Amino acid sequence: MMSERKLQSAALFLTLFGAMLFMPPLVLLFNLRQRLFGIPAEVIYLFLVWLGLVLATAWFSRRLPASGTETPPSGPES
Amino acid sequence: MEYLAIYLGPTLIFVGWWFVLRKLVRIAHDQRITSVADLLSSRFGKSSRLAVLVTIIAVIGIAPYIALQLKAVTSSIQAIGGASSTGRGSFAGIDDVGLALGVAAAMALFTILFGTRNVDAKEQHHGVVAAIAFEAVVKLCALIAVGGFVIYAGGGFEAIFARAETQGLDIYSHEIFGNRWIAMNVLSVAAIICLPRQFQITVVENSDENHLRTASWAFPAYLMLMSLFTLPIALFGMTTMPAGSNPDMFVLTLPLAAGQQGLALLAFVGGFSSATSMIIVEAIALSIMVSNHIVMPIVLRTTTGLGETDGQGVSRLLLNSRRLSIGLILFLGFFYFYLTRDSDALAPIGLISFAGVAQFLPAIVAALFWREATVKGAITGVSIGFVIWAWSMFMPSFETSSPLVEQMMAQGPWGIDWLRPQALFGLSGLDPLVHSVFWSLFLNTTTLVLVSLITSQSALERLQATLFVDAFRRQGRSEPHFMRGSATSNDLFFVAQRVLGAERATILFAGLPRAGGDTSPEFIARLERELAGSIGAASAHVMLSKVVSGEAISLEEVMQMADETQQVIEYSQQLERTSAALRSTADQLEVANLQLREVDQQKDDFLSQVSHEVRTPMTAIRSFAEILLEGDKLDTMDRQRFVATIHEESLRLTDLLDEILDLSALESGKRDWVNRPVDAEIALDRAVRVCDALARQRGIAITVGPRAATAIVAGEPHRLSQVLINLISNAIKYNDAKHPEIGVQSRISGADYIIEVRDNGPGIAEADRAKVFHKFYRGGRSAGAREAGAGLGLPISREIIASMNGTLDLIEHEEAGALFAVTLPLVGAQATKAPSDP
Repeated sequence: MMSERKLQSAALFLTLFGAMLFMPPLVLLFNLRQRLFGIPAEVIYLFLVWLGLVLATAWFSRRLPASGTETPPSGPES
Repeated sequence: MEYLAIYLGPTLIFVGWWFVLRKLVRIAHDQRITSVADLLSSRFGKSSRLAVLVTIIAVIGIAPYIALQLKAVTSSIQAIGGASSTGRGSFAGIDDVGLALGVAAAMALFTILFGTRNVDAKEQHHGVVAAIAFEAVVKLCALIAVGGFVIYAGGGFEAIFARAETQGLDIYSHEIFGNRWIAMNVLSVAAIICLPRQFQITVVENSDENHLRTASWAFPAYLMLMSLFTLPIALFGMTTMPAGSNPDMFVLTLPLAAGQQGLALLAFVGGFSSATSMIIVEAIALSIMVSNHIVMPIVLRTTTGLGETDGQGVSRLLLNSRRLSIGLILFLGFFYFYLTRDSDALAPIGLISFAGVAQFLPAIVAALFWREATVKGAITGVSIGFVIWAWSMFMPSFETSSPLVEQMMAQGPWGIDWLRPQALFGLSGLDPLVHSVFWSLFLNTTTLVLVSLITSQSALERLQATLFVDAFRRQGRSEPHFMRGSATSNDLFFVAQRVLGAERATILFAGLPRAGGDTSPEFIARLERELAGSIGAASAHVMLSKVVSGEAISLEEVMQMADETQQVIEYSQQLERTSAALRSTADQLEVANLQLREVDQQKDDFLSQVSHEVRTPMTAIRSFAEILLEGDKLDTMDRQRFVATIHEESLRLTDLLDEILDLSALESGKRDWVNRPVDAEIALDRAVRVCDALARQRGIAITVGPRAATAIVAGEPHRLSQVLINLISNAIKYNDAKHPEIGVQSRISGADYIIEVRDNGPGIAEADRAKVFHKFYRGGRSAGAREAGAGLGLPISREIIASMNGTLDLIEHEEAGALFAVTLPLVGAQATKAPSDP
């Protein structure tokens, strides 16, 4: 099981990589002028990533610590 | 296809809810934030200038958005009305401008009745939220119903896409994933946070932080379902409807064209309720901003004493100003609609609004995460972003209605080429949206950062910055308070009553003595927060400063308090670190202490063993000596015998002491010899020879097994012999087998030389194996007392071998008897040519 801190980092990376997956140049990989099951490939790609993000976020939302109980971030900050 | 980007940005923000939304909600709760303007003003030192600026920008920026919704409502009414035979007559004489004006007026009336019934501390409107939730469900159902119908009518996904392709439509969206795609994603990210309506619903109306947990995946899922059918509906519409049909109305017109009146009505209700709810919530959110941040400060400044009017004054004033601003906002929206009525597509107008409110994003991000951001930085950044947006995006939208604008677009103002709205600073060739979004957000952020770096924060700003940036760290600590408690509770009650209403004020003051007396600063801080919930942080601060006779505490004092807070935080962190270090030191000390105690115990044991060993011969010597002293009756024979015993015992004593000295020297690492290359085989020969006599005396045969020819090891020959003699004589002494046998053999294994001494005696019991190398241990059964040594032979042998870099072990084996092995590393030429040595 991941520690709380790791879980939070994982959630951050999920967001960042999710953003990258929606942006060029990665979407251009699927801009193929081809159809899968009659639907343009990039449409299928976008919706699959979308679905993946929804499922992953649902997973995270159950595991991230309850509000108010988290430990303050350590390390000097000023 | 482009519409997807509008939904992807919000999806990402909700996926990352843990980092931005959660913090926003927490701060909004703690600080009773009521709007975007309140958030920014509160963070940047409760600045009313910033609040006013943000409010004005929001009102102007949202006008296109309201216009867009008006247009949608108007078009859908026309579409559905134009289709029914009865409806055609009823709308016949009204053009779309008139219809839109009517819609706007109805909306304003409805919003005023619905959204401004009372002033609440948290500005939460549960009725509105429930209505929106219901509207969202209706909209989703309608869209899915129409989508299902289109898929059915069009013959499935494949057929729809295939037909669109044969008609020459670009279904692969070739050019889409470029700058414009990125810009739209950025805008939708900004909109989901900065749009007053979104902020209201997501942050202000949020009554429980944990609701975000569910929303984090449910909202993206909702958006995904919404957009699932949009593409097929659009493509199907474009291929089947006559050219020139409005694509935004396909949801309505497609079912109508197919004669599905019921479905069209459902779609109409869905779209209509959606647009209505957007307008209403937007208007409520904006009106709160206008009344709290523009009307209230003006009233506070112009009137000196608020106490003269009746207790409901402020509350009524607030409500009235809200009603007025709702009217104003909807009128602005209508006005924009009127000016741009010739433009067709819906989405670009919406994007203008998004880009307008996106100018708050840099300031909001800085508010949440950058402690050093200053109010001057925020004000200049937002202003510059707004000016550029207004110039490059807002103004060009009037191109069709104003020749002046058209001319400026083509040639720049007064012919200045590099100020052309859609090619600022000579950056031409970009999509106008990308161009405007880039310049406005880029310069906005740059200015915010630069000005923040060169200006400094006021004391209040620094305090608020800490409260915002460290929103999660401040658990349980009470908020710092800025006012001295020199106002009587009567005065404060009066103020509270006027703003919050009598009922809430009574509840708030329930625990306090009413008849004057000082109030605590904590209470004033709480009151200020409550008031801030109604009239905004800046206004509440000004208002209480006026009432509390002590005025706000001097700048220096606040500064000092802020510094103290910072110091306490740092001090406690330091304390934490120091105590952790202390703990680990204490642990180490405990381990060391344990070791010391063990060593001490060993020393005690050793001493008691030694004194015991010494006492036995000493007792014998003493008693014989006493007999000799007393008795002259003793004959010479006895006398001789006693003296011999004394001699013998003192020799034993000397031996014992020598051994102890030897052992302690070896243990402390001192040795009285120098290791040099010697042939261990010669030492072994000598040991066997010495022991031979003892063995013969006992009738034991020493069998010398296979031997290595020569074995050069680093050591000292006499000491090595001493060890081997000790081993062999032990084997002889303790062997009580019927046919006692001793085996000695040696061999070379790899780079090691091994000597094994084996006997067929009783062996060494399992439990004693570990102890045979302990000092003064003599094994379970002792041979005759005369042969027994002090029990130091094996420990000394082991130390000697260890100082020759070898080991002396008791080897476990299956036959009877004990087996000791001496292992010594070979040196010189023999070591390098050893077979297994690399």
